Amino acid sequence: MIAPLVTRFLQHITQQNSWAKPHLTAFAGQIIAFDFSLMRMQLVVLEDGSLATAPDNAMPNATVFIPPSLAMRLASGDEHAKTLIKVDGDVHVATEVSKVLQQMRWDIEEDISHLTGDIAAYKIGEVTQSMFAQAKKQTTQFAEMVSEYWQEEKPVLAKKMHVEQFNQSVDTLRHDVERFEKKLEKLSQQIGSSAEDTDTHLASSVKKVQSTKPKSTKAESTKAGTAKAKTPKEST
Amino acid sequence: MDNHREDTTHFGYKTVPEHEKQAKVGEVFHSVAQKYDVMNDVMSAGMHRVWKQFALDTSGVKTGDKVLDIAGGSGDLSKLFAKKVGPTGEVILTDINASMLGVGRDRMLDAGLNVPAMQCNAEQLPFADQSFDCVIVAFGLRNMTHKDVALKEMQRVLKVGGRLLVLEFSKVWQPLEKLYDLYSFKLLPMMGKWIAKDADSYQYLAESIRMHPDQETLKQMMLDAGFNHVDYYNLSAGVVALHKGYKTA
Repeated sequence: MIAPLVTRFLQHITQQNSWAKPHLTAFAGQIIAFDFSLMRMQLVVLEDGSLATAPDNAMPNATVFIPPSLAMRLASGDEHAKTLIKVDGDVHVATEVSKVLQQMRWDIEEDISHLTGDIAAYKIGEVTQSMFAQAKKQTTQFAEMVSEYWQEEKPVLAKKMHVEQFNQSVDTLRHDVERFEKKLEKLSQQIGSSAEDTDTHLASSVKKVQSTKPKSTKAESTKAGTAKAKTPKEST
Repeated sequence: MDNHREDTTHFGYKTVPEHEKQAKVGEVFHSVAQKYDVMNDVMSAGMHRVWKQFALDTSGVKTGDKVLDIAGGSGDLSKLFAKKVGPTGEVILTDINASMLGVGRDRMLDAGLNVPAMQCNAEQLPFADQSFDCVIVAFGLRNMTHKDVALKEMQRVLKVGGRLLVLEFSKVWQPLEKLYDLYSFKLLPMMGKWIAKDADSYQYLAESIRMHPDQETLKQMMLDAGFNHVDYYNLSAGVVALHKGYKTA
């Protein structure tokens, strides 16, 4: 039931924005998925340059990922948010179709005018627009008020200044730790090299001692061994 | 080929010789022709209009295109397509059944639309190769004796870049099957008896829906008929499916 309704709406919008059709016709048959985390929508570009919901068995040529937080930023007109959109698959198709979609507008006044006539439709449109603007203003004010309460009265949120200070402290700490790590590394290298020197020195000393010892014959050493073995017996 | 023609086929749940099916389907539609639209509205609670509008919306048909409406019957879709293609385009309404076609032709005339109506068999379309931008068959393929032959014919008359739309009952979403069976085999014949005074025809309708290939099978049949790419939409939980086959070469 949703697919026919969404398709009808898309057809209506593309009909209102007839300039878009030649741009979209170049991508006829291409399927673009819009992933909003909580919901996913797949659109297909039709042969006449209009849009429809994609078939159930179709695989998208490109997927555009827009998490809810980003969607809100895009809706508020944040230009930087556009650079954070992630695209999988055919980037060219996704970019071009998204560009066209962003420029398409739903002319509600035109639709209402069929029911009420032009003048009433214009008035309704004007009132609706001012209502939306007022609602947007109220929402922004409410959000500011809540954030102020959470920052000042009941500190749940951190202030921007405090966050920046904290970030600076973290940066300083990170640099200090890095410096310390490098010093430690240098020190351990130094210790390592001095230990090696000591080992080499010790080894050479042992060699020296061994070379200065008088050499005994095999027979002498055997004799000494026998003498040692006999000693306990003699004592008894 | 001749041996193939002598085979049996299904007419609802009954098995009949192939040459008899056409006549039997003809009887059904002769019987319901005058009440066809009313019955469609009652049976589907008006949903058939939404399905048909959706077929039009996803067709990609534009002004100046040539469209063939097969098994168009009372002409619902021909009327919608005629408005879409405009005066520079052309829609041809066809049906094998004279009674149904008569209803459709009259409706086109009443609406002031210049839509030629032609009685013909979908398995032997009287059109040259590559004649149409779009061919549509809505709730008609199910009644055709040789669906494979009909699909090949539809593919033949399409231009390269053209597409076939098949709107047809299909396999419903499994959890709804029991409820759908109850509706189809108990309520539908009852409604047929009360409104169209013909319970048997609507019993046939329910049976023929069950005998019709499901979404994936029909997709494969269309690919076998020569379509290069086939997509489908499930509508109303699969009660109806819209298949779209593309002829790209």
